[in-house]
Amino acid sequence: MFKNSRSKLALFLLTTILFSNQLIAQAAAQDFMRSTGKIYVVVAVIVLIFIGVVFYLIRLDSKISKLEKIIKEHGES
Amino acid sequence: MIKENWWKGLGVLLVFISLTVGMLTPLRPGIVGLEPLQINAGTTVDFEIEGYNSYFSKDSKMDVWLWLDTAHVITASGVQVTGPQSIKASFDIPANLPDDVKREAKLSINDTKNGFVTALGRPYIKGGIVNPTLAKSNWSSKVENLHEMGGFTFPFLPNIYESVRNTFYHVSLWFAMFFTFTLGVVQSIKYLRNRDPLNDAKASSYTSTGILFGILGLTTGMIWATYTWGQAWSWDIKQTMTAILLLVYLAYFVLRLSFDDEEKKARICAIYNIFAFACIVPLLYVIPRLVDSLHPGGQGNPAFGTGDLDMNVRVIFYMSVIGWCMIGYWMSNLYYRSKMIKSYIEENDF
Repeated sequence: MFKNSRSKLALFLLTTILFSNQLIAQAAAQDFMRSTGKIYVVVAVIVLIFIGVVFYLIRLDSKISKLEKIIKEHGES
Repeated sequence: MIKENWWKGLGVLLVFISLTVGMLTPLRPGIVGLEPLQINAGTTVDFEIEGYNSYFSKDSKMDVWLWLDTAHVITASGVQVTGPQSIKASFDIPANLPDDVKREAKLSINDTKNGFVTALGRPYIKGGIVNPTLAKSNWSSKVENLHEMGGFTFPFLPNIYESVRNTFYHVSLWFAMFFTFTLGVVQSIKYLRNRDPLNDAKASSYTSTGILFGILGLTTGMIWATYTWGQAWSWDIKQTMTAILLLVYLAYFVLRLSFDDEEKKARICAIYNIFAFACIVPLLYVIPRLVDSLHPGGQGNPAFGTGDLDMNVRVIFYMSVIGWCMIGYWMSNLYYRSKMIKSYIEENDF
């Protein structure tokens, strides 16, 4: 679901936009960020992996909730 | 739905912030290159200074000092900024020195764009005459009007450099481990009082998640150590004690597997869990402070010193600790709920 490149780009842009105020504050010092040039790519990858894990947890959570609901109804019947 | 699950989203958000802000915040400027490091008293020395993440500029007024201590300072006679990371500074080193032993000087620059930055390398002054009175008048500048660089930055620490960010990813896992083990032992104690299988399921889930964090913490520590301490495993006291603690907890799972009777299993494992938890404080917090250690915290100092006390690092660090604790809680929550479902299905042939 989150594996296509359009979503990756959207995620990358989202992260950049969210932290653009930090960039703007240091726009005058572009050389300052020289050593962090492609770090955004790394961060986007890390965030993607993390969000993948979170979605797995959410899916697991909803499956378990459904099972608990079935058990509750079974117990009441 | 949000009412019950808000804390899950908060945990995810806090870890997300520690991943993004933790990785993207720049370090404060540092001076990584300084040549020459052997200088003679009574001569003029031209230093070549190389900065890291620095913004040296011709336009801002920059103080460049060479100082033995705060009472013996000289200012550069000529400063030439050749690039954002490079400076050439000339000093006329006086022939007189305050004493024969104190010959290692510090070189610092001070301006509004970089703050007050001291070089990692320390030039060593050879020769000269030891004359404290003349030295006092020769080395008569002052290190003052120190500037602080603005913005949200992380400290520049020798040897650690950019890997200071590992504070959010390695150290916070240990805190999350301690938190989940605490929850586990509370459940074990509750089980011994109530004999409720739910408490046993919770205890083993929390302990599982705790061990996961422990193993991750140990391996992330080994990766960090390879590049800062030189090797992945140095038999450092804290590393070793942590490995022992993980063995103690892994034995908990071996114990769980060795029983057939559910009630007996739960009872004995609850007792073992309490013992294992009691091992944490002596192994991880007491012994490492008594002995020399590569970790911050050896020889009686509190476990965090220097850069970790930095306010900016602290903010993100606390966020990541709380975030990982919440995610650990969520993972354990899912685990024991699935265990309860499994046991319900087995009981009722559902």
